[in-house]
Amino acid sequence: MLVLPWAGCQFVRETESALRRGQQEFLSGTAQAIADSLSQFPDEFLSGGTDKFNNDQIYGHPLANAPLIDGYFDDWSIGDASLRSLRGANGKIQFVFGTFRQHVFLYIDVRDTSVTYLTPGRLANDVDHVDLLTGDASGELTHYRFTAEAPGAITVVRVSEDGDVVESQFAAHWQDTATGYRIEVRIPRKLIGEDVGIEVHNAGAGTTIVSRSFTRNKPGRYVTKSALLTSFANGYAQPGFRLTITDRAGWRLAQAGGLASALKDHQFSIVPAGWQLIAYRALLEQGQAAALAEPDPSGREKQNYIARALNNEETTSWFRNADTGRAVVAVAQPVWSGNVQTGALILQQDTAAILSLTNESLMRLIALTIIATAGGAFGLLGYASWLSLRIRRLSHAADHALDNANPTMEMPSANAADEVGDLSRSFSSVLQQLAAYNEYLRSLASKLSHELRTPLTIVRSSLENLDHEPLSEQSKEYTERARTGVERLQKILNSMSEANRVEQLMENVESEVFGLSDVIDATTKAYRDAWPERQFLFNAETADDRVDGSPELIVQMLDKLVDNAVDFSKVDDEISIGLSRTGDELILTVENPGPPLPDNMRHRLFESMVSVRTDAGRDNLGLGLNIAKIIAEGHGGSIRGENIDGGVRFTIILPVHQH
Amino acid sequence: MSKRIAIVEDEEAIRENYAAAFRREGYAVELFEARQPAMDAFDMRLPDLVVIDINLKDEIEGGFELCRSLRAKSKNLPIIFLTARDNEFDAVSGLRLGADDYLTKDISLPHLMARVAALFRRMDALLEPQTAESRIKRGELELDIDRMTVRWREQTVTLTLTEFWMVHAMARYPGHVKNRQQLMDAAQAVLDDNTITSHIKRIRRKFVDIDENFNAVETVYGMGYRWLES
Repeated sequence: MLVLPWAGCQFVRETESALRRGQQEFLSGTAQAIADSLSQFPDEFLSGGTDKFNNDQIYGHPLANAPLIDGYFDDWSIGDASLRSLRGANGKIQFVFGTFRQHVFLYIDVRDTSVTYLTPGRLANDVDHVDLLTGDASGELTHYRFTAEAPGAITVVRVSEDGDVVESQFAAHWQDTATGYRIEVRIPRKLIGEDVGIEVHNAGAGTTIVSRSFTRNKPGRYVTKSALLTSFANGYAQPGFRLTITDRAGWRLAQAGGLASALKDHQFSIVPAGWQLIAYRALLEQGQAAALAEPDPSGREKQNYIARALNNEETTSWFRNADTGRAVVAVAQPVWSGNVQTGALILQQDTAAILSLTNESLMRLIALTIIATAGGAFGLLGYASWLSLRIRRLSHAADHALDNANPTMEMPSANAADEVGDLSRSFSSVLQQLAAYNEYLRSLASKLSHELRTPLTIVRSSLENLDHEPLSEQSKEYTERARTGVERLQKILNSMSEANRVEQLMENVESEVFGLSDVIDATTKAYRDAWPERQFLFNAETADDRVDGSPELIVQMLDKLVDNAVDFSKVDDEISIGLSRTGDELILTVENPGPPLPDNMRHRLFESMVSVRTDAGRDNLGLGLNIAKIIAEGHGGSIRGENIDGGVRFTIILPVHQH
Repeated sequence: MSKRIAIVEDEEAIRENYAAAFRREGYAVELFEARQPAMDAFDMRLPDLVVIDINLKDEIEGGFELCRSLRAKSKNLPIIFLTARDNEFDAVSGLRLGADDYLTKDISLPHLMARVAALFRRMDALLEPQTAESRIKRGELELDIDRMTVRWREQTVTLTLTEFWMVHAMARYPGHVKNRQQLMDAAQAVLDDNTITSHIKRIRRKFVDIDENFNAVETVYGMGYRWLES
């Protein structure tokens, strides 16, 4: 039963992984197909040359809208993460290029401790300025300069050997900042060539420090998205899919589609509950962080799996969002044209569907496990309870049978075919044997006494005759001892047959209705006389004490109990006799201080010839209690003995005589 | 002439021992070990007293049989049952058959002798007229010590010797409690408690047969019995 949840969890995990892998396979196939059709666009890929990545390359980020040329970056649709950094004279220079429709936008933030403006009399070269260099296919460079006379809109000039020409097609704005200055520029698209570079001139005391975005002698390649490829990609875009096409260096040439954030389909659950997240973390493979699936803000994809794809290796990868549990499956496929790799295609898919399935499976699994466990537990509990109930019932019945010496009583479960039934039948068998043994013991006493009487008579009568013969003194002594022995034997025989006699008496009893407390009261007085060294206390709590039976026998029974009480107690001990009534039963108790009844004799106390005494003071055959029991039961009552604090109590229950 | 006592007992040792005791007392003794030979002898001549063992060899109820036939022959012949069986039922049947006494073999020889002597005395007294000195009157009870008879309200109550001696012991001092030991001594026997109880019951029953309201024998629980004089 414990295996079920574990197996279920394993199953869910495996299924999720399998589904994911399946999705990856499918995605791979799709990517291959798309990559194949991309082979028809070599030019688009090769627009930036065949060289691989170098730091001189500059990416023009596609923008969602045209920023206002006001020197502020906050209306750009890309984030700070896209800014590139250069080391400037006074600190970091950050810049970024963006494109929107027919324009290219430049934003640059320069740290400059002392900003110098172009004031009359100063040469442009001696003030802080930023140069934009762009080169065309033939290698010819065009040089644009951004300087400011004052913060605000600035004029852009094209620097040439013939002199600076104002470029009115540019729109630029210079903004002073606490740490330096910012420039935001709008440039017509056509003015930007194949290559692009930035030079930041920081004019200081006498010297100018130049920071360049390119390390070689000419600016690096300008890469931006390809409209053609973008529309191509859009053709393949579907909800839950993201297509990215990069060139050989990894620059994003096109991107289409989007992952789960676009999905509002109710079929897929939105945000999983906390416990579900815990379940995912516990059960499912973790994968890489989902953030890594997002397009790189720099414009160039650097992921391991994409880098390998750029090295002509088909790769798959997957990521999981720890917050939503969602996984993204990604495939990176190299794109070829002829026998040249031109770039890579990255296909990503959201696995919301898998997640939902996982969710459902998990829910169902948990529900099933709970039901199965509960069912199993209840089943087991129920069965165990039922079994222990049967055993308890059997145990009670056995106790009851023992207490009442009723061996023919039917044991519960006697007909059952299982182990409890076997136990029950064994009990019955044992009880019957016990009863047979008891019967044997009982009859043994009377049989023995009967058999022994005759030889005893012979011995005694011979001794009596011997008395009349002349005997030496010594002989007389011997006969005396013999006679004493005979008398003792006689007493023993008498007590052995007493039980029999009592039974007969009970059968033939002429019962009368009498008041029990009067009888006991009188008898107690006699006990006081008979045993002055004990204290006898009689306490009657009820006046309604009429019993139908034989008072002599009741007294005889009481005699037996009091005999025992006296024998087991010490001088000056108090023996208390109590009489009370509950319902239609009278309860007679005889208590004495003294040693307790042995536990193992509990059921055998009232049997014939069973004695719990170890002393040999009297020729005790253990018959007294047997007779008491015969008398009690003969009156329709019962007797039991129990240990109480510091002593022993015998309790007789007799039915009250009803009118 | 010495009285003749017949002993019918199958156990030889007991038979011989009893015979020795009786002879010592001066009685003439005839011994039989089975019912038939005894019956044959009795057909010819009846003894003066018969002691019968109830279960004779080979015949379980042989003793009862013998008693019945003897009683048929003589109404007054004293018959004593002697038995190892300590059986209430037997006692009642035996006495109903007309035996004068039912004794267990527990009885000591001296007691047996006393019993037999008493029976003979009674027999003799029955043949004599009643003398005033032998009578004791207690209310409606009249005891004749010699004859060992009892009358209640002028009617004879047939009691065995044991019963007579018990009544005598109680009624001699009405109101006095006689404990079991005293009753036993009076009955000249060693009796266990239950036997005494049985005897008292039988005594009461015999009186009640004559007088429904008889309650002169009172049980004093734990102490004994006493005769109540109204």
